[in-house]
Amino acid sequence: MNTDKQDVVVIGGGIAGLSAVLHLAERGLKPLILEADEKFIGGRLAGGETVQIGEYSFRLEHGVHGIWSQYRNLQAMLARHNLRPVFVPAQEENWIYKAGKFVGMAAVGSAIRRSFVPAPLHYLQLFLRGKFLWMLDIRDWASLFNVWAGLIMAVGIDPFAEGQPMEGMTLGELTKKWSPALKALFLGLARNGLSSHPDEVSMSGFIAFLRFYTLLRRDAWMFSYLPEDGGTSVCEPLAAKVTELGGRIRLGSRVKRVVQVGDEWQVTWDGANGEELACARQIILATDPNNAKKILGASVDGVDEMFFPRALSNAVIRLWFDVKPKKNAEAGIFTGDFIIHNYFWLDRIYNPFRRWARETNGSALEVHVYGPPETLAQPDAVLLTQAIKDVEQAFPELRGHRIGQHLQRNPETHTLPAVGPKDKYLGIETQWQNLFCAGDWVRHPAPSFFLERACMTGIEAANAVLASRGLQTWALIDYLPAEPFVAWIEKLMKAGRQRRRRKKTA
Amino acid sequence: MFTYMQNLARIARGDYTLLPRLAVYYVTMQCNLNCAYCEDFGSRRNHLVTPNPTLENAQKILKVIRTGVDRLWLTGGEPLMHPQICGLLEYARNELKFREISLITNGTLLSQKQDSLAYIDRLIISLDSIDPQTLNVVSVPDAYAEIVIANAREAASLQKKYNFKLILNAVVTPETLHGMDTLIAFCKESKAQISFSPQSVNNLPRYELVTSAEYRAFIEKLIRLKKHGAPILGSLSYFKTLVDQTPYQCYPTLVPRIMPDGWLAYPCRPMEKAGGEQGGRAVNLLSVETWEEAWNIAKEKYGGAPTSCVSCFQQCYAEPSLMQAHPIEYLSERLRGNNVSAYAPG
Repeated sequence: MNTDKQDVVVIGGGIAGLSAVLHLAERGLKPLILEADEKFIGGRLAGGETVQIGEYSFRLEHGVHGIWSQYRNLQAMLARHNLRPVFVPAQEENWIYKAGKFVGMAAVGSAIRRSFVPAPLHYLQLFLRGKFLWMLDIRDWASLFNVWAGLIMAVGIDPFAEGQPMEGMTLGELTKKWSPALKALFLGLARNGLSSHPDEVSMSGFIAFLRFYTLLRRDAWMFSYLPEDGGTSVCEPLAAKVTELGGRIRLGSRVKRVVQVGDEWQVTWDGANGEELACARQIILATDPNNAKKILGASVDGVDEMFFPRALSNAVIRLWFDVKPKKNAEAGIFTGDFIIHNYFWLDRIYNPFRRWARETNGSALEVHVYGPPETLAQPDAVLLTQAIKDVEQAFPELRGHRIGQHLQRNPETHTLPAVGPKDKYLGIETQWQNLFCAGDWVRHPAPSFFLERACMTGIEAANAVLASRGLQTWALIDYLPAEPFVAWIEKLMKAGRQRRRRKKTA
Repeated sequence: MFTYMQNLARIARGDYTLLPRLAVYYVTMQCNLNCAYCEDFGSRRNHLVTPNPTLENAQKILKVIRTGVDRLWLTGGEPLMHPQICGLLEYARNELKFREISLITNGTLLSQKQDSLAYIDRLIISLDSIDPQTLNVVSVPDAYAEIVIANAREAASLQKKYNFKLILNAVVTPETLHGMDTLIAFCKESKAQISFSPQSVNNLPRYELVTSAEYRAFIEKLIRLKKHGAPILGSLSYFKTLVDQTPYQCYPTLVPRIMPDGWLAYPCRPMEKAGGEQGGRAVNLLSVETWEEAWNIAKEKYGGAPTSCVSCFQQCYAEPSLMQAHPIEYLSERLRGNNVSAYAPG
């Protein structure tokens, strides 16, 4: 067994770990990053193996494509090192709804971000679109108040900032009385954003999601796509920069435990040369929540009582066709009776796919299946057949034109955001001295989600290390405030809640 | 104004491929300065860039541009390094009759090319400070710094004679931030206008600026000064956008760019530079007769231009996009007497 003395050890080479390491290396430290994957750095944003379709090869990945305008620290970090690619602007997102034999399709994305009605009423612009109205029936109109009340409730509570777990409440419960189409729309949005079935989505996670991505500002729903897979576009250039600055990256290093010995942490992992060990004054745990729980569980006491957001698996299916679909948005959501949940026309987003489509006049679709578990439990062939059936129902013009398919199952690493009780929920700083956490599952009052939260907590964890060493920390970029009208509603609702609390106490 | 209204009508019917408000022609890529923040040109890159077009070719390019656009920005590199710049400006003014011609220069060669002032409506000098030492920090050598400042003063005094407006464009960097008050005072005194752009790194405002309280305070101060009539170019929407880096929808077709040898940067310069499948040098204006023909060829090759984009944050795209997207703001700016069609150059 080799023992290695390190400045800082970062466990996990996703965006959280890479962000932490980059900011440490820029201040002159020589951190070591341990990534379990044997080939690819980047965690859920990593690039993967390639698949061959005819003469062309395409790189696989987990299925993260969108960079939202609210991902401010991530974008600033990349730009500071000239690593921010020119993104592909999102033009439109469709909502495809199936109820029995009815299949409807309406453009919703641009209506939300370009609405002339201030937030939180900006969704009203959807009602000016004929195709959207066509999806609604009398029950939807009757249920409008319920839906609206649910959305307004989200204005009055800031789960991350307040540390409000809203225990026992789920999105499924909130939407129980909602009408079919509107319920399908919002569940569709939540499933896409939160990668899970509504009954598994905690209310706190959903509200925080809604607030960050759309409810408080119209421009929050502005986003772009990466021009290629996440590995090529972001993670591999970022890892190269880390190395250039003196950081070290060890792939294929699955950490088993961390043990505090004196004022040092000993990190043990299974690597290419068997069990290996490194010592460092500080460690940053930047894995997904399941792995964080596993590593801590093998290392310290009391982990079973602690709160960790769940991490879920999903399936990503890619289909290649020798024709193009009729005029259609480049992405969208499937809701109602479909088993697939969202889609991206990769030939309109990714450079290699666009090149291929230009040369062959073909098209390539990526669809995601987020659950429920019984759907994901089906054999590959069954899941693929069902997904193809759904796609052909939505895009009948593609029937008989499929020339390739690929199904990828992602492991349980996708965080299902939720807020835990403060005393049981790990933040950047933990009860264990010099052990810090980073990742999209970590407690932090900032409103951010997913890639941005991973990056921001990575920087914060690096800051904690830097501060403890008397080195200069990094400034974070603030998130944009709510639009004035919604901010006013929020203020009123918070005041109301305070009054009710005071009455209760009295 | 007519194009603005046409574009509003397009937006109202959901068509976001907007008509160009002006065209930017990079008459040369050569430059005699080496500004540290310049991501495109500079003397350090002179040996790498496209050679200057001949006068004949440059005239042909402008002729095609004129079939689709009536406002022209000539920039570079340093446009005054083009040996026939005066002839080209004369042609643009007298033959092609562009409604408005702006020349964007670093000011070093102005005294040698004073004739060019007779053909332009706006002279835009990139000047980040009137303190030579500060200019040194952003890589303008000592000798040039003194010349630029002297030339800017001279240009200010020539405004009446040649009937043009002088605009100073200052790039705000952490290094130049402290000298901006003096620069504004210089503009007031010289009857010139001033515009500001934050230093851009990788298509975003520089991290050290956006995390700086001083920068934020400076932009807020600009808003106050502008409201009180200071000669600051740019809409309030633009400055409000700068305070928080609020995302805005960019309509890149509003400000098309043409390279010295006639290639159209489609759909915009950042996408063309990226060299991916979204855009590139799709068509050379020397090979077509009209702007429409050029645009159609580009569309054919790369598909329609994005109908809106939040991929980068660049002033020269921000200002026209913001004004087009906010007609009420546009109107109120005009009622205040601000000429918001005179975009702040970036």
